[in-house]
Amino acid sequence: MPDPTGAAVALALKDVRAGYGGPDVLKGVSLEVPRGCIVTVVGPNGHGKSTLLRTVSGLTRLRGGRILALGAEIQDHAAHRRAAAGIAHVPQGDLLFPDMTVLENLRMGAYLERDAAQEKRRLDEVFALLPRLAERRTQVAASLSGGERRMVGIGRGLMAGGQVLMLDEPSLGLAPLVIEQIYEVIARLREQGRTILLVEENPARVAELSDVMHLFDDGEIVWSGAPDDLMNREELLATYLGG
Amino acid sequence: MSDATLSAEAPAAAAAGLPAADRSWTRDLAIGLVVLAIAAALPFLIDSRYVMGQIILALVWASVAVQWNLIFGYAGIFSLAQMAIFAIGGYGCAMLSHYFGWSVWVSIPAGAGGAMLASMVMGLACLRLSGVYVALLTYAIAQVIYLLIVTDTECFYYEGASCRQLTGGATGFARFGSFGTREWLRGDWIMGNYGIVLAGFVLTLLMSWFIIRSPMGLAFKALRDNPAYAVARGVNRFHTQLLVFALSAFFTGLTGGLYAVHFQAIGPDVFSMTNLLFVLAIVVVGGVGTFWGPVAGAVLLMLADEAMRETGEFRTLGLGLIIAAATVLLPKGLAGLAGDLAKRLSSKG
Amino acid sequence: MLDVVVAVVTTALTNGALYALATIGLSLVWGSMGMLNMAHGGLLALGGYAAYTGSVQLGLPLPLAIVFAMLAGAAMGALLHLLVVRQLLRSSGAGFETAVMIATVGISIALQNALLLLYGGQPLGQPFDVPGSIPVGAGAVPWLNVTIVLVSVGVMAAASLLIARTKMGRAIRATAQNRDAALLMGVPVQRVYLQVLALSGALAGICGVLVSSITQLTPTLGADPMLKAFIMCVVAGLGNLPGAIAAAFGLALVEAAMQFAAGARWGFPTLLLLVIAILIWRPAGLFGRARIQRL
Repeated sequence: MPDPTGAAVALALKDVRAGYGGPDVLKGVSLEVPRGCIVTVVGPNGHGKSTLLRTVSGLTRLRGGRILALGAEIQDHAAHRRAAAGIAHVPQGDLLFPDMTVLENLRMGAYLERDAAQEKRRLDEVFALLPRLAERRTQVAASLSGGERRMVGIGRGLMAGGQVLMLDEPSLGLAPLVIEQIYEVIARLREQGRTILLVEENPARVAELSDVMHLFDDGEIVWSGAPDDLMNREELLATYLGG
Repeated sequence: MSDATLSAEAPAAAAAGLPAADRSWTRDLAIGLVVLAIAAALPFLIDSRYVMGQIILALVWASVAVQWNLIFGYAGIFSLAQMAIFAIGGYGCAMLSHYFGWSVWVSIPAGAGGAMLASMVMGLACLRLSGVYVALLTYAIAQVIYLLIVTDTECFYYEGASCRQLTGGATGFARFGSFGTREWLRGDWIMGNYGIVLAGFVLTLLMSWFIIRSPMGLAFKALRDNPAYAVARGVNRFHTQLLVFALSAFFTGLTGGLYAVHFQAIGPDVFSMTNLLFVLAIVVVGGVGTFWGPVAGAVLLMLADEAMRETGEFRTLGLGLIIAAATVLLPKGLAGLAGDLAKRLSSKG
Repeated sequence: MLDVVVAVVTTALTNGALYALATIGLSLVWGSMGMLNMAHGGLLALGGYAAYTGSVQLGLPLPLAIVFAMLAGAAMGALLHLLVVRQLLRSSGAGFETAVMIATVGISIALQNALLLLYGGQPLGQPFDVPGSIPVGAGAVPWLNVTIVLVSVGVMAAASLLIARTKMGRAIRATAQNRDAALLMGVPVQRVYLQVLALSGALAGICGVLVSSITQLTPTLGADPMLKAFIMCVVAGLGNLPGAIAAAFGLALVEAAMQFAAGARWGFPTLLLLVIAILIWRPAGLFGRARIQRL
């Protein structure tokens, strides 16, 4: 998608708060995702990392703060309009369309794309990146293995051609060998210069491919910086061993 | 009630067979006494036989609505066969008195027993299914009973030269017995009928109150608020639903019998969709799953119905729109509205 | 003997087609949004009367009158979404399933009563008719029945193509299978719901025209097909379109056979008993996948 604004920041969160009925799960989160960078949010499970991505894509209601996509405020938009603003969210648990084929799932990713040639081009890109999906294209999503489903989820996110790809724990629930394959794919995406906001539990797994890392604990960002610095910080231990 | 307070209190109370430890039973008692006082005063205040007749009808509707609220609002069974159960009670009473000459005092409870039995058979077929399927199936069963009655043309016996069907066919039954209030009170017979129907209503209300306060009621509350927890605690949804379905059917059938004897007639028109809709409207407008909601709803809808009587043919149209509008605009009904108001007043004061 | 067979099969095929058409409209709405539309029968009646108005009062040619009926049904379906369903989806949360049933029961009664006030209680004759019949052995099959079956099958085929092949259909299926994921793809879910209700309304509209062509126009003409459609849905499992169509033809055959064997009034009660037996045997419906109860 060509960028008419030329903004350097693809996605920005400013003091974002959100929750589900009870107290705030996100207690004022601010972060920026510069174009062409991979920004990672790491932290233990159950501390609101998924809520962060769900709030950006509009699945969870925002309580306060602002969300900017390429400089334009989108926090008041309904979820389907945020997709149109270039937010491609690959949610936890994949949320595939179970009775559709792999191809139909991928084509749903390009739902907003009106240009059929453009859709075809992206499909070719996705199949080049994830050749397994080309083999499985006529298979129903419900019949796929866990790793294949994850690939469909990522491929479907790429089909949107959005500004920012948000990946929620792409390694969750997969066998170590499959996790490796998935992270190879993410490394390829990095080489392609994609803008990615990645959420992951295991900091060591993503340190190598991140440009910026944020340590997330109990609804707040407690530390931000370069990956190499994070691995030596004592905040990391405190966060994971119960602070 | 939040899950936290439920899990702390309800099973303990259920185990001990005690009512839930909250203040609402004193409130229920206070409201109940006021309602009863008004009900007792009415015969002395109202002279018109027509108005008394309408009040009796309101009591009948309120009883049916209280029972439907019990099975839908509390037990979560969306049954569309409520008027069919009512009709079975009424028909049972009418047929027993008509064919065997039983006194209505015997045939009314017998008819109610029949309604209970029918309801249990229906429950066995439906209650293992999930929500919507219960609605689909109870609707179909009610329609089949109705269709079998109105299409019954086979002559069972002759009354003079006219052919009469076993089920009464399209005309139903009339003059099969009475409460005996005409012989007893003469011109004031309607007051006697009022007293009898009122007694039935009070009985219905008490029974519903005890069920809601009983361990069974708490089981339903648990099933509604936290089904996984309730099932883990050993609550059997099917058995509890079947039991309350049967109990409520007995009292609904009883009300049907009282209705039939008061009007000295019963026909297939009690099955009509309009009647069912009236009951749903009472409960929805009053407040689903609230104890006094159906009573308030019955009073309000009888008044609205009376007002719409002037407009004659627009009555059903109005009823339909009222129920749709109430669902959209008043999701918690009058009782919910009153609760919200009380809360707002007390928080301000 | 042969003429009885011809008559039973004719009735079964005609009724089966009509039941199937009534059922898919109902099942489509359930499958996409978890809504049991109790006003579906009212939409059938609306379609029947709209065709009557189109051809008798406005003087439209019959095919246009049928299109008019479909448009009327679609408009009513859209209105149902805008005035009721949209609001209830927003306000009632988990209680949506029952709230929408109650609300549509109200709408249904209001709609039937409005038709009664507009057109009167006297049954009217639907101008849609195809005279003549084809002799088959000792019996005869009326052209009207043949037309009804062909039109129903055609409409159902068109609807399935729409759902299976078009972008709109893909969005409808996506929303039905995973609402959140559809939102993330940029699917305007409320607009999809509007389309589904309008489509179901259009199907109800043409179904109403066909039903009234073999019976008569009355405000309650939709009640019987809706009752049967309910049963088909229960047997097939709500939301299962191919199952619903199979159930519609199968049960229509049982009903027609029973009507000839034991008299017209026993057709449906037998059917219901059969269905109850099926449900006790398989509570998720005959073709329904045993769905894990959401707690």
